[in-house]
Amino acid sequence: METEKGKTFKYMREKREVSQAAKDNLKKFNRIKKTVMEALQENELSIDQLTKILDMPKDEVVFYVMSLVKYGFVQTGTIDEMDEYFSYKLNK
Amino acid sequence: MSSEKINTSFDALVIGGGIAGGESALNLANNGFRVLIIEKDLSIGGKMILLSKVFPSLDCSACITTPKVSEISRHPGITIFTNSKVKSIIKKSKNDFEAEIIKYPRYVITEDCTGCQLCEEACPVIIPDQYQYNLVGRKAAYIPFSIASPRVAAIDIENCTLCGACEKVCPTNCIDFTQETEEYLIKAKTVVVATGFNLFDPIKIPRFGFGSYKNVLTSMQMERQLAPTRPFNTILRPGDAKVPDNLAYVLCTGSRDVTIGNPICSQICCMYSIKQAQLLMGALPMADVTIYYINIRSFGKGFEEFYSQAKGMGVDFIKGKIGKITEKENGNLILRYEDINENKVKESEHDMVILSVGVLPNPDNATLFHGEELKLDPFSFVNQTEPLASPSRTSIEGVFAAGTATGPMDIPDSILSAGSASSEAISYLIKKP
Repeated sequence: METEKGKTFKYMREKREVSQAAKDNLKKFNRIKKTVMEALQENELSIDQLTKILDMPKDEVVFYVMSLVKYGFVQTGTIDEMDEYFSYKLNK
Repeated sequence: MSSEKINTSFDALVIGGGIAGGESALNLANNGFRVLIIEKDLSIGGKMILLSKVFPSLDCSACITTPKVSEISRHPGITIFTNSKVKSIIKKSKNDFEAEIIKYPRYVITEDCTGCQLCEEACPVIIPDQYQYNLVGRKAAYIPFSIASPRVAAIDIENCTLCGACEKVCPTNCIDFTQETEEYLIKAKTVVVATGFNLFDPIKIPRFGFGSYKNVLTSMQMERQLAPTRPFNTILRPGDAKVPDNLAYVLCTGSRDVTIGNPICSQICCMYSIKQAQLLMGALPMADVTIYYINIRSFGKGFEEFYSQAKGMGVDFIKGKIGKITEKENGNLILRYEDINENKVKESEHDMVILSVGVLPNPDNATLFHGEELKLDPFSFVNQTEPLASPSRTSIEGVFAAGTATGPMDIPDSILSAGSASSEAISYLIKKP
């Protein structure tokens, strides 16, 4: 198959199928990202508050929120009065 | 896989691009020999490049490693194959080793990548980042870590959705999904085995709850939390992102324990735990840190002073053996332990537990060589045939071992061992056949 520079992913698409796990993982992340971004539109929220919105295990919420912080979608906000939990806000 | 093997030759083949392999390669190359480093990972630098600081000097680990890996990468006498593995090595005759090497595709043209990370930004996928020990996510198109060498992107093809976003944004058109696995047939006159060590996986001790209890971490996960390129903005519990204020270390997790098949001391766990405890007290000044130990082995230069310094800073040392860890509803952890000094079973609560995991041999060493056998010691590290007179010599003439391939040791000892291995390899190379 002829390959054009900058479009070699088409060559790979012919050669191998994307796994169902990879597709599911992308869907899951997109759903979580959308929900988190929408939830943070109005207010800063803590992991506990985001867990209630996302309805998923707290450690998974930590993982995804920290990943969104890493890639610049979300930033760390203020810490609570007990100096225990940070809240998170959109990186506008 | 491409069907034809690529033939090439070098004076020395160094297996492993960690600190011992890198040091051996540099010494050999500085003496005029042509060296090939085979590194299984995407970057050289081994485990040291991922550490926060080193003990007992508390010097920044990256500040020591980065110039070293840069020197290795730019040395004209050194060729580096990353993302590669040794399939087999056969000794044909003296000064004649033949190695079959498999080089896996990175799907990025190394020479053209500028490390701009635009592909990473565009990639929509998030999966656990193995270089942050799964504490945070990374993309499927990614630079392994910020000080990686080479600082070149790679595509994780297993998790890539082949959306093409990375290729569309790449300014140098360096992403190349047509790359294939390559096989090399390498001729070398000598071999240095610097395959390093594996860390004990604490999932093998279910009573400690690692994997189930999210606030039980390994020491390497804490090492990442303490590093400048850390996964979070500060030290946090992965279970709920709480800033911890009462942390416990469990020493000898996977060391000195016949029940998990590793009866020997890992030599580094006491001191790296004490180092982390000191760093934690700096990062979290209000936190309590407790270290549960069987014996503190502070045998090296400045180690006893370092231990005393930790005690002086307020680190609590309890001579106790942990029986079981259980989790409370709020994510805190109850440690049930035998207080060895008081001869009593006690319980204590902590909000984060760090398992100081031990050093295990690299199992790949057993299958590297075909024909002649690379003998291993009773603990499965590479056997040193003459540990006092010639510590790098192995059971195969012309094959030398460097660093933790021969047993647990700290960074200075690994570098010394690499010096010894490279010196012996040079002597071997200059001897007339």
